[in-house]
Amino acid sequence: MKIVFKIWRQVNSKSQGGFETYEVDGLTEDMSFLEALDYLNERLVQRNEKVIAYEYDCREGICGQCGVFINGRAHGPHDNITTCQLHMRSFKDGETVVVEPWRAAAFPVIKDLVVDRSAFDRIIEQGGYISARTGTAAEANAILVGKEVVDRAMDAAACIGCGACVATCKNASAALFTAAKINHLNSLPQGKPEASNRVLEMTRQMELEGFGSCTFTGACEVECPEEIPMINIAEMNARRVKAKWLGK
Amino acid sequence: MFLRKTIIALTGLFLCIFLIVHLSANSILVLPEEMARGLYNSYSTTLRESPLIKIVAYVLYLSIVLHVIYALLIVLNNRKAKSKRYLLNRNRENSSWTSQNMGLLGIMILLFIVVHLANFWARIKLGLGENVALDANGHVDVYEVTYSLFRNIYYVVFYTILMIPLGLHLNHGLKSAFKTLGFYHKKGLRVLAKISLVYAAVMAVGFGLIPFIVFLK
Ligand code: FES
Repeated sequence: MKIVFKIWRQVNSKSQGGFETYEVDGLTEDMSFLEALDYLNERLVQRNEKVIAYEYDCREGICGQCGVFINGRAHGPHDNITTCQLHMRSFKDGETVVVEPWRAAAFPVIKDLVVDRSAFDRIIEQGGYISARTGTAAEANAILVGKEVVDRAMDAAACIGCGACVATCKNASAALFTAAKINHLNSLPQGKPEASNRVLEMTRQMELEGFGSCTFTGACEVECPEEIPMINIAEMNARRVKAKWLGK
Repeated sequence: MFLRKTIIALTGLFLCIFLIVHLSANSILVLPEEMARGLYNSYSTTLRESPLIKIVAYVLYLSIVLHVIYALLIVLNNRKAKSKRYLLNRNRENSSWTSQNMGLLGIMILLFIVVHLANFWARIKLGLGENVALDANGHVDVYEVTYSLFRNIYYVVFYTILMIPLGLHLNHGLKSAFKTLGFYHKKGLRVLAKISLVYAAVMAVGFGLIPFIVFLK
């Protein structure tokens, strides 16, 4: 099949950048989107042109590296998947496909489709961990946790930090990411001792990084590959109010 | 930002309650004239003379002003956070148009409020423009002010059309305010979404229909 790619090219974070058009013939429907980009890059190498930079690692939807904005949607036209889980059969033969890097002031473009997501790391550094020793698996199993609590914590813990929530949000808000990390740890007994500091410090860092505020458009939960629901943001808000005004 | 959002949510909720009271009062207008004129005028006189209502009125003015100012600050900050836009953005596939355009809807409502205040508040409270007569009971004839305004079809259309953005804004705003304040009960939120929709529809249709009924009477 043939696809006309319109891809954002940018030499480095300081340069202007702009769209380049590439007509690519010889793709097959069962190629993943990343394989199609690989294929295009091979052609570029043959023509002695600079290859397109984009990120990936696992190519099976678990690492969260492969975030790009495809045809107006984070990770392409389907809900709740990563780019590596997208296949060329989702496009029509001859279709023009626009590929852009995540857009957010807090995610500056490094090169082409690669953005700097270290703002997420700095939010994690403010409390997205527990500092107590949890011991071995056997010891962990000795702490009783209700099924409902476990399920909710696990759902939030599924976040792979891909940044699609920020990318799709018109406010570039990192509320869903931050909420997932906070709720995951704060709902479990191991996370309780540091719960209030965690929510205050992580939300503070979120704002310092220059992410916008959540206005509940709900786009994030539709694009999140892990289907983390927006209700987590309301829960984070509640935890923040409690931590701030009741000190717990 | 959390404080700003909280202020927007709280003032928004207060305005939501105010609208219920306002609509209930407006519905007096559709009663038969003999009843409506006396009732409406004495009601508005009572409101103007009550010291408690005076305080509520100031809270109301303040709420509108704070709601607008903080919304503006949030919008500016959000714009900064999203300094570069996408060439192609199919956000209609992942979110409602309303949720993406609360600011625009808010501006339309603000425009409405300005005209509305000029039509009523400025005449009755500030005494600007044409003098307002008294009715048979010696009350300021607010009923007459209303009826004479809505004899003009342009005002009727203006008042009715601008209730559409109001309804949309309320539908998204009411449920979002609760989430901003930290309400995260799963079933509760589903019920809340329905309540918001019904509330918004009642407000938009109610406020939008009354000028028409007045016009036709
Ligand atoms: S490459 Fe790991 S999630 Fe796509």
